[in-house]
Amino acid sequence: MTKTLPDLKHWQFSIDFDNIAWAIFDQEGASTNTFSTETGLELEKIVATTEEAAKKGEVRALIFLSGKEKTFIVGADIREFEALTSEKAVKDVVQKMTGIFDRLERLPIPVICGIHGYCLGGGLEFAMACHYRIATRDDATRIGLPEVKLGIIPGLHGTVRMTKLAGAIAGMGAMLTGRMLRPGAARGMGLVDQLAPGRQELRWACRKAAINRRRTKKPSLWKRAQALPGIRSLLASRMRKATAAKVREDHYPAPFRLIELFEQHGGNREAMAEAETQVFAPLMISDTSRNLRRVFHLSELLKNEAPKDVAKPLRAHIIGAGTMGGDIAAVCVASGMEVSIQDTSAKAIDKALGRAKQHFKKRLRSKAEVNKAVARLHPDTSGHFLRRADVVIEAIVEKLEIKQQLFKSMELVVRPSAILATNTSSLRIDDIAAEMNDPTRLIGLHFFNPVPQMPLVEVVRGEKSREDEVRRGCAFVTAIGKFPLITKDTPGFLVNAVLSPYLFGAIKRLDAGEDPAKIDAAAEKFGMPMGPIELADAVGLDICKYVAEILGYEVPENSKLAKLVKEDKLGKKSNQGFYTWLKGKAQKNVAVKSDPPSEEQSASELEALGRELIVPLIDACEKALADGVVADADHVDAGVIFGTGFAPFRGGPLHYRASLNNKTTSSQNSPEDMGESAATVAE
Amino acid sequence: MVGLQKPRRVAVIGGVRTPFCRSFTGYADLTNLDLMTTALNGLVEKFRLQGEIIDEVTGGAVVTHSKDFNLTREAVLGTKLSPRTPGITLSQACGTSLQAALGSAAKIATGQIECAIACGSDTVSDAPIALQRKLALRLLSVSRARSFGAKVKAFTKGFSPAELVPKSLSVTEPRTGLSMGQHTELMAQEFHIDRASQDLLAFESHHHAAAAYEEGFLDDLLVPCSGVFRDNNLRPDVELSKLAELRMAFEKSSRGSLTAGNSTPLTDGASAMLIASEDWAERHGLKPQAYLTHGGHAAIDFVGGQGLLMAPTIAVAKMLDQAGLTLQDFDLYEIHEAFAAQVLCTLKAWESPEYCRNVLGRDEPLGSIDRTKLNIKGSSIAFGHPFAATGARIAATLAKLLSQGNNGKRGLISVCTAGGMGVCAILEKAEA
Repeated sequence: MTKTLPDLKHWQFSIDFDNIAWAIFDQEGASTNTFSTETGLELEKIVATTEEAAKKGEVRALIFLSGKEKTFIVGADIREFEALTSEKAVKDVVQKMTGIFDRLERLPIPVICGIHGYCLGGGLEFAMACHYRIATRDDATRIGLPEVKLGIIPGLHGTVRMTKLAGAIAGMGAMLTGRMLRPGAARGMGLVDQLAPGRQELRWACRKAAINRRRTKKPSLWKRAQALPGIRSLLASRMRKATAAKVREDHYPAPFRLIELFEQHGGNREAMAEAETQVFAPLMISDTSRNLRRVFHLSELLKNEAPKDVAKPLRAHIIGAGTMGGDIAAVCVASGMEVSIQDTSAKAIDKALGRAKQHFKKRLRSKAEVNKAVARLHPDTSGHFLRRADVVIEAIVEKLEIKQQLFKSMELVVRPSAILATNTSSLRIDDIAAEMNDPTRLIGLHFFNPVPQMPLVEVVRGEKSREDEVRRGCAFVTAIGKFPLITKDTPGFLVNAVLSPYLFGAIKRLDAGEDPAKIDAAAEKFGMPMGPIELADAVGLDICKYVAEILGYEVPENSKLAKLVKEDKLGKKSNQGFYTWLKGKAQKNVAVKSDPPSEEQSASELEALGRELIVPLIDACEKALADGVVADADHVDAGVIFGTGFAPFRGGPLHYRASLNNKTTSSQNSPEDMGESAATVAE
Repeated sequence: MVGLQKPRRVAVIGGVRTPFCRSFTGYADLTNLDLMTTALNGLVEKFRLQGEIIDEVTGGAVVTHSKDFNLTREAVLGTKLSPRTPGITLSQACGTSLQAALGSAAKIATGQIECAIACGSDTVSDAPIALQRKLALRLLSVSRARSFGAKVKAFTKGFSPAELVPKSLSVTEPRTGLSMGQHTELMAQEFHIDRASQDLLAFESHHHAAAAYEEGFLDDLLVPCSGVFRDNNLRPDVELSKLAELRMAFEKSSRGSLTAGNSTPLTDGASAMLIASEDWAERHGLKPQAYLTHGGHAAIDFVGGQGLLMAPTIAVAKMLDQAGLTLQDFDLYEIHEAFAAQVLCTLKAWESPEYCRNVLGRDEPLGSIDRTKLNIKGSSIAFGHPFAATGARIAATLAKLLSQGNNGKRGLISVCTAGGMGVCAILEKAEA
């Protein structure tokens, strides 16, 4: 006597002979599950059917599971929000969904939720509306509310339920950082009530919980105390301080709105739920959030450059144990590969191994993992690991002949299926491949310094490079957790080509007498992660000069840059460059802040300077686009954001320029919009 | 049943294993189930068996928990094989996975099944900690007692705190109370195997294994497990002089000759191999690496005083007679190195007219083998020895060797086991 709802597209619903209702979310035509109008409507039908059945005593529990192998629910379908332009429209969508969640929560029978794989954003907000949550211990399971990373806050009453279940400290902490929790951590916080070993055991654990009528435990006294008024404002001020240390409120308002929300309404369920929607709607339609969502899509765009059906490379061989080679090796090892690092100098290898170990200690979770990582990294002075490698990356001195000979000799030894790549930043791929029997094999894999922190790798397609080699290069890049950007083999590829005019433009201003700290402050105000002068120091002034010469910028003898290089003041690495460096920090004089004509004037002056500084970068982007260095404007924006840290909330350099142009043409409407959002936030 | 048809040939498609780790190192937090599942999934990946129903998966572990009463079936359920694949757990100590292959091979030969996976796993890092028998009996009688008073009485009567000391794992023979090493030490003395020749064999094992790594021979035989890519017992830079310096591990007097260097350490790891009828292999587009043509096993009266690990001498002699072959008719010999002394005793026994007459009942000795054909890619002393996993490791190695160019046509496998048994098999090259 099983009962089903046959007309559902994205869910399977049935009530079994035990009177347990099973709802399996398996969104049609998608690899993951998301809440959209359509999937939400079907959920509503499920809830309504269960309400009805519960009234008649025909169902004793409702269990939610996912039909996807690696995801539970990854959130609300953000694409649906793109079309919404008014706060009211956003609120309508939100209230529809929160209404369904509330009905779910009020069901008189146990509602159990079995989580395996990603359970994020709206997915977790849904799970928290259930009565009892079981997650798998599997490494694929990740739980979190990453909304702030998209410039919004949880909008389906997640802020309310999160702070209730986990308490304010843990709950707000997780929302403010947007971090994804492992199942054990989620259980520790109280987001999950029980763990199951794996996906197979999950449905049986859910069934048992349903029969035993399990419910999540009432939050502890301590958790509830965290929402008391005095404690709340204390916590809020600490959160505000910690958040301000990481992001600027004028660039990233969402976390600050979230803190205000908690400070004003924490612990008061109805008021907080109501206010959440009021805060959520303007953020959702703000430019910042649109741009951050755009950045997320751009990251997906880059990840999709990698074909899904190629085997994951297991063994990498890195030639050259300098900073780049050593760091590339360390990153490969940390992402699970076996790596050999080759250099003629055993001393250089030793140094690289030492640095790699430091990296493992920071990156990996236990001593055992560190030991295993160390065992995966092999020093190789004679190159005998070469023949076993799936990927070979050359990172030696930028001398054409040496590289030519190296690849010529390697070609005879490496496996036919191995990827052959050079990390060159200034030589042409085709020139390096010139001596090879099969020059179509060689590609460029251009890493950025510092390798562990920089998310982008340029995959350089020489004129002769074979397309499948380029694609396999992309697959390797995604396998080590970075974003691949396919570029043409032009000087500086994309990132250096657009970064250089910006850097040298800024350095030129120094020669004209501008204050370096002011330049950097202006760039940071614009939203760059680090000012151009400090960046030049960090990269190394000798390298800057070298790049300048390669890209055809003049560095006059009497310029500051040339003089400093001549005096061996090379920046951070020699503790003296444009700045004096102390313990790895640039010592900036704070004249800009201490003697301004007025706060406001200096702020607008900095803003104007910031916009000016960035102009050469955007010009270079337009040129790169016109030259076809990368596929299209989105790829330019993606490359520049992930390769230079270009202010993510501005959506990328070309997008930024385009939106500036739009604004000037349609400036009549905008003040009103702005007024409305400002008013709502102030509530 | 198929009746008296001619037996079908049994193809060895190939095998994989996890890297082996000395116990309490790389796999300290893994269980037998984890290791076996990883090896099986590695095999699935290698031969694209996702979703396939394999007619049977047989194997087991030596050191095992009672909750893993059918470890193999549980492991299958964790793989990408069809959940409709049955699993059988069996044990013949260190011969487990080879015996598993022999049993399934016989079923393939008779036509009862078409394909099978033989596997084995062991970890001492997840050894069960058992209660003293006295305490176990006490707890059982407490649970049977009806009233509270009776329970208290059952618990306290004659109780001694010594009962609370848990029994930890020991690799000793239950009948003799001697460890494997102590037994092998006795064999070494009986057969006059000196320390230097044991060290030399150990040295060669490490060097062969290191060379095998370097040439990439092991790359497709290994499936990385928990971030480990390489056997961590292997010492590519081992030196004879260093081996000679090690202290005795079992017999500490000057008569002793076994050290940690010429014995296998406690090791964690798992292996699996795929065998099938030629038909099945062809239908699945898989090329046999070799054929499993003969197999056998035997036991020895070690309780009565014979050498514990000498049973392979009997098993091999019997199998050679069945196959109509002599000991010299092989191009490759894979003799499991539980201890260097075990290998050397076995070889010496086959050469000894006296032993062959008295123990094997033969007029002529089996004779000596060409030592350059022995364990040419290294063996257990270098790789380590997770008991139940060793048989399939050796069979997969030999099958791959036979499938390659000019390594020869026929190979012999001999594995000694705890409990005084030996398991052996013959693999022959698949014609091109």
